[in-house]
Amino acid sequence: MIPGKYRSVSGRATNNVNCGLHLVIQTSSLPEKNKVEFKLHKETPSFPGRLLQHDLERNYSSRQGDHINLVSSSMPSFPILQRSSEEKILYSDRLTLERQKLTVCPIIDGEEHLRLLNFQHNFITRIQNISNLQRLIFLDLYDNQIEEISGLSTLRSLRVLLLGKNRIKKISNLENLKSLDVLDLHGNQISKIENVSHLCDLRVLNLARNLLSHVDNLNGLDSLTELNLRHNQITFVRDVDNLPCLQRLFLSFNNISTFESVCCLADSTSLSDITFDGNPIAQESWYKHTILQNMMQLRQLDMKRITEEERRMASVIAKKEEEKKRESQKQSLLKEKKRLTINNVARKWDLQQHRVTSIAANQDRKDSDSPSQDPCQVDGSTISAFPEETGSLDSALSNALQGLSVTDTHLVEVDGDTLSLYGSGALESLDRNWSVQTAGMVTTVSFTFIEFDEIVQVLPKLKIKFPNSLHLKFKETNLVMLQQFNALAQLRRIDQLTIDPQGNPVVSFTLWKYYVLFRLSHFSMQKINGTEVTQNDMIMAERLFGILAHVASSELPQYRLISILGDARKKQFRYLLETKGKKPGVVSEENNDSKRLVGENTNRATLNYTTRDFYNEKLEEIKEKKKFCKMYIEDLVKEATEINMKNEALQKLWPQMFIELVRDAVIEIRNKSSYMKLCLQQITDQK
Amino acid sequence: MATERAGTWLPEAGKLELGSCCGPRMLSPERLALTDYEYLAQRHVLTYMEDAVCQLLENKEDISQYGIARFFTEYFNSVCQGTHILFREFSFIQATPHNRASFLRAFWRCFRTVGKNGDLLTMKEYHCLLQLLCPDFPLELTQKAARIVLMDDAMDCLMSFSDFLFAFQIQFYYSEFLESVAAIYQDLLSGKNPNTVIVPTSSSGQHRQRPALGEASMLEGVEASLFYQCLENLCDRHKYSCPPPALVKEVLSNVQRLTFYGFLVALSKHHGINQALGALPDKGDLMHDPAMDEELERL
Repeated sequence: MIPGKYRSVSGRATNNVNCGLHLVIQTSSLPEKNKVEFKLHKETPSFPGRLLQHDLERNYSSRQGDHINLVSSSMPSFPILQRSSEEKILYSDRLTLERQKLTVCPIIDGEEHLRLLNFQHNFITRIQNISNLQRLIFLDLYDNQIEEISGLSTLRSLRVLLLGKNRIKKISNLENLKSLDVLDLHGNQISKIENVSHLCDLRVLNLARNLLSHVDNLNGLDSLTELNLRHNQITFVRDVDNLPCLQRLFLSFNNISTFESVCCLADSTSLSDITFDGNPIAQESWYKHTILQNMMQLRQLDMKRITEEERRMASVIAKKEEEKKRESQKQSLLKEKKRLTINNVARKWDLQQHRVTSIAANQDRKDSDSPSQDPCQVDGSTISAFPEETGSLDSALSNALQGLSVTDTHLVEVDGDTLSLYGSGALESLDRNWSVQTAGMVTTVSFTFIEFDEIVQVLPKLKIKFPNSLHLKFKETNLVMLQQFNALAQLRRIDQLTIDPQGNPVVSFTLWKYYVLFRLSHFSMQKINGTEVTQNDMIMAERLFGILAHVASSELPQYRLISILGDARKKQFRYLLETKGKKPGVVSEENNDSKRLVGENTNRATLNYTTRDFYNEKLEEIKEKKKFCKMYIEDLVKEATEINMKNEALQKLWPQMFIELVRDAVIEIRNKSSYMKLCLQQITDQK
Repeated sequence: MATERAGTWLPEAGKLELGSCCGPRMLSPERLALTDYEYLAQRHVLTYMEDAVCQLLENKEDISQYGIARFFTEYFNSVCQGTHILFREFSFIQATPHNRASFLRAFWRCFRTVGKNGDLLTMKEYHCLLQLLCPDFPLELTQKAARIVLMDDAMDCLMSFSDFLFAFQIQFYYSEFLESVAAIYQDLLSGKNPNTVIVPTSSSGQHRQRPALGEASMLEGVEASLFYQCLENLCDRHKYSCPPPALVKEVLSNVQRLTFYGFLVALSKHHGINQALGALPDKGDLMHDPAMDEELERL
């Protein structure tokens, strides 16, 4: 008789496929209809799915296994299966041969109505001898030793094919199984998804615990609802958006580390359930909200329902990340631009320094923004393609890196408390209107690739615009003479000085630090090139150069002192000099006073630095005066020599002249009467 | 202070404190034989007059405030003391022997402490120190001085203060003289005897033949006596200052042959020449300057 309905196995057990598949097999009352319905619903996959097997066993094997006789046939390898006719009538459509220690598929005779065939837990290596069972709907070969899918080409009605826990290396030979509904290949050695595109009725595909490294080739599976890919080595997933019905995708325990490798999931509208646990991506801080943000259609993630709150959070975080990324991109772009500009400035600087002969040629180009003729400065042309940034000075992000002015000839940068200037063009930026806040925060000023002589000229501006600058740094500024340090004395205050050896030959001198300490003693500097200034250093500096200061102040004639010091100091110095004649003790006090008043040790004040150009200019100016002086003195000398000559001539002639005078007088007086007449006449003539 | 140290110029004194040649008395016949202009030029009076007037022009606003007479007093006082060359341009410093000697003295006084400290410095650093006193001091002079110390070898070597100072003295004070000496030396090396060409002197010069001189040049340097003869002639006709010929003879009499730099080194180390110059103290006393120490203590 027709067997009654077999109810499903209840309980929370999972089957061996480990996807929460709960197989319910019911036969209808009309065997010829061959309608077998399968209901599939989820279970938690946490149990290794052997329990259902036991249940299945309970269902069939315990009832049937005892009645099976395996008779050895005439053919040596294949046993022949025979069932008692009772059995055949009772269970005409199902046959269970599990745990029969079978190594080959037996020949099954006279069972052409068979619809369910169970070969679980045997040692079968090849699927054979079942081609005649053309009504077969359910074939279970779980836990065997099958190495290749074969021998199924006649089973056109097959709906459920369970080949889990075998040794299959390749998906193949499924061409005729167009009605396949469930394909279970878990626990095999499959490394590639292929030859499944024709399975348009397939709803469940289980490829867990295989050797898949990527997922693609999924087109054609138009009915696929569930795809289990747990415990593989998958690094990226493609083509999932070609599965119109896919609702559940299990990717737990694979090797997915970025969202980009599974980005096709975002395009799948049908997906509602996905798992990523056990992948590297799940450890990332951005994992949850990235997934949620990109897959709005999801209802469950890692077997947990997604709440509205979570979604909201995810979108908020995602927005923030986007902003951050944009910001950092901007920053890196800026940095790159800066780097290129600095390189450009450095190259120009090198040209200036080394290739002196081509200075004339480069002079015109130095100030222009066009790339120079030097072929290695091809970068210059690409830089000019960048739009010139006129950054805001007072943006809200005043603490962040600000590239204020970036062209390809110079760079000005304010970074919190440091103002960095690259290239001589940058010095012009000191003329700008700096906000009090920005300028007040600057405590360090760094000069690179600028001639020191040029820096000297803008020091007064620096003093005014950046009053809090305490630390000066010089790199590649051509500091060659100790005298140049004299120019720094005009600043208000310096706490630290850093002179980078690169491009500053003065650092190679033994005495440079002491000279700096000596000349700038009124600043009481604390650090030079990173090392603290000790009392000993100060004493040594005084000892070495103190005499110079003394000579410079006390031994110069007053007019020279005044001309060197200039108008501003005249009065103060004159006052000091007048008091100098008094007790020496007073003098030193006065000096101290002046230190406080003027801010500088006046006996050093005469040690100035004029840039070479200025100096030469001055000498040029003096030339005219010198010429005039020379002529003037020559005239004086001529006059003097003439007078001298006349004097000498007079000396020589005088005796003779004297004698003549006397002779004339005597001759006159010889005749008294005529002399008296002569005198009287002279007197009357006078009237 | 300034007035205390003024070396007042008294005609009877004859000799200025610094830098003058051994001066004859005022009414000696050689002196009176010169014309007015020549006499003034020899004493470099005009240089100082011109410079004084130039300085006056430069600073007329300031000077007019306290009087021209006072200006001239101060100016010539400073000339006497040797402080007039401080921070002046190189062309002025080089102009007269007195200026040069004053500059050397000033350099010594200012940087004696560097020497005392025992630091050995490179030529460039010494040049820097020189530039502190004279902003446009030329590098070539310092280089030449360094060459003397280092015997034209390894120009980046470190030098001690005293070595450099004495070599610099010779180079700077007698720079024109040394140029001529170098030319003579080259001539002698290459076999030409300037004596035979230009000035007929002792017969020994004429008897020398080319091959013999060629022999001589294969050995290092030149023969001392021949060299001396040439130098003697040079001293006689040279209008720039020269070291006293007697001392030069002393230097050359000690050796048979010598190289150019050997000669210069010997000059720089010779006490007599140093004293004749009068700018620097003896080597042994180089680190001591009691007058300066006194002054500093007073402050």
